[in-house]
Amino acid sequence: MDTRAFDPAMIVAVIPDLLRFLDVTLLVAITSIVLGSLGGIALAWMKLSKKRVLFAIAEAYIYIMRCTPSIVLLFIVFYGLPELLFSFFGFNANTVHRAVFAILTFTLLFSAYISEVFRAAYLAVPKGQYEAAVSIGLSPWQAVFRVVLPQAAVIALPNFGNATINLMKEGALAYTIGLIDLIGQGSLIIAQNFGAYGIETYTACMLIYWILTLLIEQAFARLERRLDKGQSFAVRDAAKKPGFLPNWMKGGEAHGA
Amino acid sequence: MELDYEFMQKTFFEVWQGAGVTLSLTALSLLIATAPAFYLAVLRLRGSTASRSIARLYVSFVRGTPIILQILLLYSLLPSILNVLVKAAGLDFNIFESVSPFWYAVVVFSLNTTALLAEVFRSALLAIPKGQLEAGLSIGLSELTTYVRVIIPQALVVALPNICNVTVNLIKGTSLAFLMTVKDVMAIGKVSASYGYNYIEAYVDVFVVYLVLCSIVQVLYRFAELRLGAFRGNDWN
Repeated sequence: MDTRAFDPAMIVAVIPDLLRFLDVTLLVAITSIVLGSLGGIALAWMKLSKKRVLFAIAEAYIYIMRCTPSIVLLFIVFYGLPELLFSFFGFNANTVHRAVFAILTFTLLFSAYISEVFRAAYLAVPKGQYEAAVSIGLSPWQAVFRVVLPQAAVIALPNFGNATINLMKEGALAYTIGLIDLIGQGSLIIAQNFGAYGIETYTACMLIYWILTLLIEQAFARLERRLDKGQSFAVRDAAKKPGFLPNWMKGGEAHGA
Repeated sequence: MELDYEFMQKTFFEVWQGAGVTLSLTALSLLIATAPAFYLAVLRLRGSTASRSIARLYVSFVRGTPIILQILLLYSLLPSILNVLVKAAGLDFNIFESVSPFWYAVVVFSLNTTALLAEVFRSALLAIPKGQLEAGLSIGLSELTTYVRVIIPQALVVALPNICNVTVNLIKGTSLAFLMTVKDVMAIGKVSASYGYNYIEAYVDVFVVYLVLCSIVQVLYRFAELRLGAFRGNDWN
């Protein structure tokens, strides 16, 4: 096989073409994150509730979703759901946009992942915070919404950021059901070039995703600093300042050997 | 709608035949990735500035891009590179016909797992207090012996839940190997699904197989954790 030389200029050349479809990728990701967060809140609430049935349902759902490859769920939703809808309701789902199926799939997945994050964050706020709030006369609802949840939100933020990035990456699968997003457009470009420039086009897609990931990471790090209201970061920063004791005496250092 | 139960039953056993490929792909990738991942983790903790940033760049890149793109890219890149190498070595060997796509899949998933495991190992090593290394050195062990006999056994227990996560995600991730025409669980399910348009039945079968595989793996890791963590008392967590 005579190999055509790798053409770095092509990477730059396809980026504008790819970016035109960035909005589809982002739309699918953001809608799934918003809807999935609502589902995650409901699931976390079920897992925290004292009703055993609710707990068991949430637990089973989360376990099953954790063990399901996203592509399998995507295919079940995309190929299976229209059949189900048609036979039960006579509803023809073939005209529904593919993005809807992708969003539905990623919402189902994201709600399972994120519910554990929410639950852990809620449990991480000491109970005394709630008791203190109630003892100074707030109603239980006020105590939860004004005192516990704002603190839990900050705790949940880093993991929420991770889950967001993971979801965005999994969103890349949507092209396998024929959605024209970033990668869908990439494969169209490759097809238009009669299969040439595959490596360059995929590299361009990867660069775009990488930059997106780094941006999201940065955004969450900043948000965390802002919402933290000078609590844990202040403590951390204070620890870095030369204080009364020299650093080696403080003990409990990590093994950064 | 009537589900075709007969088809479902038949396909279920067919799909199971792919479990071997899925599991060997997972196991091989994990095995291959372990050593370089550990090396990367150590580099990030105590390497020179340059090697630290190279390790960070690699991890960030792999974790920042979708695995599906890594598959698509390497699957178009690797055969050509190999071909050039073989030609350069003057061998008469047809890469495109004689290398099974399974091996390309192994390469892709090993590279991916290396980055993920490096992060796991790094955080596990960070969890072991520095005093452990110092104590080992002070009683006359070499640094290597201290690592092998003192630090790694403790770090491994810390890392196990995360390694379990990586493994489960890897099993799920290998379902994308069908893009490289590897005949794993997903690929067999996909073929049977499109053969008679029995999508729901076939994919539910595939889904059950993954559920069972992941459950078994999680139980095994739980055992390993209890056993390796015996030194800290089994009721510790």
